[in-house]
Amino acid sequence: MHLQRIEATSFRNLTGSVEFSSGLNVVYGANAQGKSSWLEAIYLLATTKSFRTSHPKEAIRHDANEAILRGTVARGNLTKDLQLLITESAKQAFVNGKREAVARYLGNLNAIAFTADEMQIVRGAPESRRRFLDRGIFFTLPSYLGALNEYNRVLKQKNALLREASDSDDPAKYFDLIQPWNDQLVALGSEIHAARVNYVNELRAHLNPGLFQAEEIAIRYKSSLEGRGDLGDYANLLKERLSLRLKNEIAVGYSLVGPHRDDLEILCDSYEISRFGSSGQQRSALLILDLAQMSVYYQVFEEYPIFLIDDLDAELDRTRIEILLDHLDGRSQTIVSTSKRTIAERYRHRARTLLVESGRAVEDEVLMKEGNAI
Amino acid sequence: MLDYAEPVTKLIDEFKRLPGIGHKSAQRLAFHVLKAPQEETDRLIEAIREVKEKIVFCSTCNNLTDVDPCRYCSGHSRDRSVICVVEEPYNLVAIEKTREYHGLYHVLHGALSPIRGIGPEELRIKNLLERLRPNESGESSVKEIILATNPNTEGEATANYLARLLKPLGFRITRIAMGLPVGSDLEYADEVTMHKALANRHEI
Repeated sequence: MHLQRIEATSFRNLTGSVEFSSGLNVVYGANAQGKSSWLEAIYLLATTKSFRTSHPKEAIRHDANEAILRGTVARGNLTKDLQLLITESAKQAFVNGKREAVARYLGNLNAIAFTADEMQIVRGAPESRRRFLDRGIFFTLPSYLGALNEYNRVLKQKNALLREASDSDDPAKYFDLIQPWNDQLVALGSEIHAARVNYVNELRAHLNPGLFQAEEIAIRYKSSLEGRGDLGDYANLLKERLSLRLKNEIAVGYSLVGPHRDDLEILCDSYEISRFGSSGQQRSALLILDLAQMSVYYQVFEEYPIFLIDDLDAELDRTRIEILLDHLDGRSQTIVSTSKRTIAERYRHRARTLLVESGRAVEDEVLMKEGNAI
Repeated sequence: MLDYAEPVTKLIDEFKRLPGIGHKSAQRLAFHVLKAPQEETDRLIEAIREVKEKIVFCSTCNNLTDVDPCRYCSGHSRDRSVICVVEEPYNLVAIEKTREYHGLYHVLHGALSPIRGIGPEELRIKNLLERLRPNESGESSVKEIILATNPNTEGEATANYLARLLKPLGFRITRIAMGLPVGSDLEYADEVTMHKALANRHEI
């Protein structure tokens, strides 16, 4: 799978279109010229989500009502035209000029992005690690998104009851009301737990633990019910814990038990990386996880998603960049952005290099032909 | 200053209260009414008045009806040993259209939703329990209760709640199946429906 071409209309400060090679592409230029915006545009076209903002309408240029992203994706000999229309109120997706539901649109182009925000996975709270797992799972298991959405909806309903109960003089009368929601949490929670445990096992099988350094990276799914009973019989354990902690849940007014409290444990030489890892170790660990995610994806679909790295040199040192790009070579279409011309020059022999100035991306070769010195 | 003369604005505002009607639709409806001949608008006004005057909720099953008890509850050919519980009157119509279900109904007028402040008190559960109460000889004519609430989290919670409430009373409690729509193609099924259909497969 690779993106041959993308065209942006009224999207941030971007103008024109860019063509990519199926291997390594280096997008470079001075700051605030639009490098990251091109990567954001690619990620949006692939996922309909931005890695910079949760409100993609912010990306619509000020003098326009809507932004349009158009791309051509190649898979083997097949090409497809994808289009994403972003308006003030909605996003519309098109495949080969025909409107598609987002659920069907997704999957035509899959992208993994390594950005500054993604560092939360190895640095931040469990929530970002759960999101990393969940995203990886619904790449490969489409019904998972439904289960997860339903779980969150049930949780919201239950929390509304728990809040009410904790304010009430007679919390006991809420026991019977909470039970039907707990029934659903058990069914959906077991499904989520099983999918996550399974996915972490898959990731572990594809982990390349010492790719960047001597310290070994290890991962483990850490259920919040660990040490509370038999995790092998998760549904029953969850049911038991839910009824055991019901009074505590009412006391605090929100839900305390379930897979929404779980975590992915990432260890570097048996130390928890988010607390004890150096920032270099954290970056390496995240890359190793991203690469494992790619391999699992490959195992299912026999093709690689595209790999985006925003601000390559800010996040990675020279050695890591070299190891990473070597690893990706021949596997995945890779598109990186950098503010350093030296990096573009170092990889010019094996990459397509594009200079971005005021939102326009121009291929180096074209610049050379036109007689502009580089 | 108002965009339109006051009576027009008032009509638009009233249309906007209707479910599924936004500002633009409300405006379109209002202008349709303005342009329509007097007889047409009179018919509409009369239809609304009539429905509010004549239609009541059945005191037994809470369905919409112009006679109380409703035609299902008083029908001689209906099977009195089964009650099918639905959320809304239009759900009842959907089941009745099959012409295959001949039992009784019970309309809850909603589903549990703590977020929206809807608990069992807000649903018509009390008169369901009254219907199930045993007669002098200590027996209830009802044997089975089919829970046909919607296949979403709120409908599911409502079904679970009722099952927990009614099962100890000795009734057979069933839940309608979830799966693929018949007559369509597998390729049109979304992943979640397909997942449920696979999980609920049965041996033939």
